[in-house]
Amino acid sequence: MVVNEEISTSLYYDRTFDCDAAKISPGEYYYTDKDMVIVTVLGSCVSACIRDTVSGIGGMNHFMLPDGGNADKDNPASESMRYGAYAMEVLINQLLRNGARRENLEAKIFGGGNVLRSFTSMNVGERNALFVRQFLKDENIKVTGEDLNDIYPRKVYFFPKTGKVLVKKLKQLNNYTLIKREETYASRLKTDSVGGEVELF
Amino acid sequence: MANPNTKFLVVDDFSTMRRIVRNLLKELGYTNVDEAEDGVMALSKLRGGNFEFVVSDWNMPNMDGLTMLKEIRADPTLSSLPVLMVTAEAKKENIIAAAQAGANGYVVKPFTAATLDEKLAKIFEKLEKSGA
Repeated sequence: MVVNEEISTSLYYDRTFDCDAAKISPGEYYYTDKDMVIVTVLGSCVSACIRDTVSGIGGMNHFMLPDGGNADKDNPASESMRYGAYAMEVLINQLLRNGARRENLEAKIFGGGNVLRSFTSMNVGERNALFVRQFLKDENIKVTGEDLNDIYPRKVYFFPKTGKVLVKKLKQLNNYTLIKREETYASRLKTDSVGGEVELF
Repeated sequence: MANPNTKFLVVDDFSTMRRIVRNLLKELGYTNVDEAEDGVMALSKLRGGNFEFVVSDWNMPNMDGLTMLKEIRADPTLSSLPVLMVTAEAKKENIIAAAQAGANGYVVKPFTAATLDEKLAKIFEKLEKSGA
């Protein structure tokens, strides 16, 4: 099995904001040029909310770097870096394909909380946050807002049309769904070698 | 492994991705690598640049990888240049289109170092057999 970034299919009508909404889970992304909200809940994962400031098309991803092991950690071509770059590229490519222009892109970045207790020794959240910051810097995409690291999960609401983002820090988790979901995602990334299918011809 | 001095051109609009591919090539022993950020820039570097291998993304502004591949095949001075597509486009139509346009190989992102190595080896082997 191959871990591919998938477009979210969880669409609903949000009564609080009175507009259509898309909810994205770890490993998913969503983009739109419509007046809607994209919602996600982040633990140690990160989300980049990227939009074209002129046309208003924008989208959000939700990912973490797979644990490539220590030997591979600082290698810029490591498996985990490649996966992160891929997760960012898939979203940005979709925006560009749908009329966004690279020079108009701006980003707000969230997440990377140190919330997975079993991972505290290596702090996955911090690594994810470092990666997304560095990626955007290298790609010359301006970061106009961020809320990263700390120890709390976050609920993020992104309105691509206006660029507005609302972040709620979840200081009290009512259950472990979020942490379980991230752990499942992390172990899926770990067991599947992060590589696309090889097509022979 | 082919000649370690083989001259590569890595074409991708993401500098992060160019750096990743450049590093992987270095790990495989190839250090003679130049970069281009879209098809237009790549073609101008390729014409007269004595390049021996192209590793290219598909989705890029100005000129995408498929259009670039077609231009390469249509140019008598470049037509036999090996081109490996490394792309996030994983649909069958994409892969077929690349094959029909004359790509020598196709790797879907996110890929492993082993996959890239295997693909390069396969392409070099075929080229050797055909006496190129």
